[in-house]
Amino acid sequence: MSVVRTVATGVVVQLRQMRGTPDWFLALFTAPLTTAVFVTIFLHAGRGDLTAYGVLAPALIALWQMSLQTAGELIAKDRENGSLEALLAAPAPFAALLGGRVLAVVAVSLVAFAEAWAVGWALTGSPVDVAHPWVFLLVLGLTALAMTGWAGVMACVFVLARSARTFQNSLSYPFYVLGGVLVPVSLLPTWVEWPSRLVFLSWSSDLLRDALAAGPVVGLGARLAAVVGLGAAGYVVAHGLLGRTLQRVRRTGSLAHA
Amino acid sequence: MAATTSPPDALHLESLTRVFTPRGKAPVTALDGVDLRLPAGGVHGLLGPNGAGKTTLCKIACTVLLPTSGRASVLGFDVVRDAAEVRREIGIVFGGERGLYGRLSARENLEFWCAMHGLGRRETRTRVSALLDRLGLADRADSLVETFSRGMKQRVHLARGLVADPPLLLLDEPTVGMDPVSAHDFRALVGELRTEGRTVVLTTHDMAEAESVCDTVTFVDHGRVVGTGTPGDVRGLLARGSRIRVHDVADARALAGPLDLPGVLTTHDPARRTLDVDVEGGQDVVGQVMAAILAAGHTSVTAGPPSLEEVYLGLLGTDGDGNRRGMRVGS
Repeated sequence: MSVVRTVATGVVVQLRQMRGTPDWFLALFTAPLTTAVFVTIFLHAGRGDLTAYGVLAPALIALWQMSLQTAGELIAKDRENGSLEALLAAPAPFAALLGGRVLAVVAVSLVAFAEAWAVGWALTGSPVDVAHPWVFLLVLGLTALAMTGWAGVMACVFVLARSARTFQNSLSYPFYVLGGVLVPVSLLPTWVEWPSRLVFLSWSSDLLRDALAAGPVVGLGARLAAVVGLGAAGYVVAHGLLGRTLQRVRRTGSLAHA
Repeated sequence: MAATTSPPDALHLESLTRVFTPRGKAPVTALDGVDLRLPAGGVHGLLGPNGAGKTTLCKIACTVLLPTSGRASVLGFDVVRDAAEVRREIGIVFGGERGLYGRLSARENLEFWCAMHGLGRRETRTRVSALLDRLGLADRADSLVETFSRGMKQRVHLARGLVADPPLLLLDEPTVGMDPVSAHDFRALVGELRTEGRTVVLTTHDMAEAESVCDTVTFVDHGRVVGTGTPGDVRGLLARGSRIRVHDVADARALAGPLDLPGVLTTHDPARRTLDVDVEGGQDVVGQVMAAILAAGHTSVTAGPPSLEEVYLGLLGTDGDGNRRGMRVGS
């Protein structure tokens, strides 16, 4: 059965499930509020030049939350719903279906960028300028794809680990630091900077900030390659982990219960 | 002359064993060296108490659970080695309300499962409409499944099992929660599926359902097959002579004396107002019993072979130690 068609099926079924269910969109409700907090503080401190940082950070946080927290729970939710067994008994490749569903959630999370940008405009009276729009869009697209791969990893962790939610909650804030979502990792202590370079989000957030600034985007190719490479690593890990996870739950008989 | 080959069995189990090892607990053997062949075509019932191993067997057959040892094949395909082929050949319906997407309509749920079985858009449209109609869901096709009653959800489950037009259908307690009318319709549907040449493997606790639809029945208990065959065959497993049931018996004392005969055992059920008379012996003893019953003024009498329920209770009504299963009611 076609992988592409299964991915498309995953996108459609996920969007249909999200329709009219606000729970899925919690991060999109909080993103404008967080933007208002960040931008207001910067304006109050007389640092209007940091508005772009205050706009990007909440959008990246929303992307992280919806991708790794919401999409990461997809397999666990299917198990709770009792649909996982029937999904695995169907001929369509489960990995492709999961990929499509995660992709749908990630795509919806991109709305947070528009929200944050609109709030920044409303508070400062002028829109945050995007000096390199094509670079911005390219990086945003690659970031979303990389996030999809790592959300697949998270989905497997949720099935394998009983304490996954604790793990998920406790990891978010360290990753906001390591991903440089508000503070560029180059400003962090050296011992924090090097592990942050293993997190694709740190490359993405730096590139997105540079795409907003008027100056040239230095070393674009290498930095894009870092996003692509680390994103691809997510797919490789997710693929291997998913295969092992499903084999394990088939062996242990824990498909139908957590 | 070319050799003729018989079609593969719908389900062929060889020494199939499945052991669950819950964390920190003793291992539980759900299937214990099961050998079973269910031929292609017809309706095959798997009957047994809760925890007997029926659902485990279905889960192994549909590839979502791996056997601990032994072998299982579905229409000639090994469930471990040829899992992809097995998934193309089967439709699976697990009982209960869970397993559907509540925020999707019945039509959207079925469209999704069509896509999961690789059906094209046009085929999906036709198939989904036909199934919604066949399962009596056409007028609620575009309502969200979360608004459905339990019985309606069960019908969506059945439709889901049929989307791929599979030659083998595994139905794991499919009538749980159905009202009597829907359950009756379900039996008619199973009859139609048999006529279409499909194989249906049905697990159920409902003996009337099994009696009315199954061509073969297999009794499972403690992960083992304790009897299999046609309903006629398994009736023979119950070592019993003739049974005569006398109806409208409020007080059995009047019959106690006349029926105090060698080889005759009476069981009075005050709730149903019936007296069951089991007769071990030839027709002469049966004649004596009938005469005694009629002489006592009872004319509402039925006689016949044991029902599947009676066979079930005879084979599985007690545990391995001879203790009666279930609630301590009427004991």
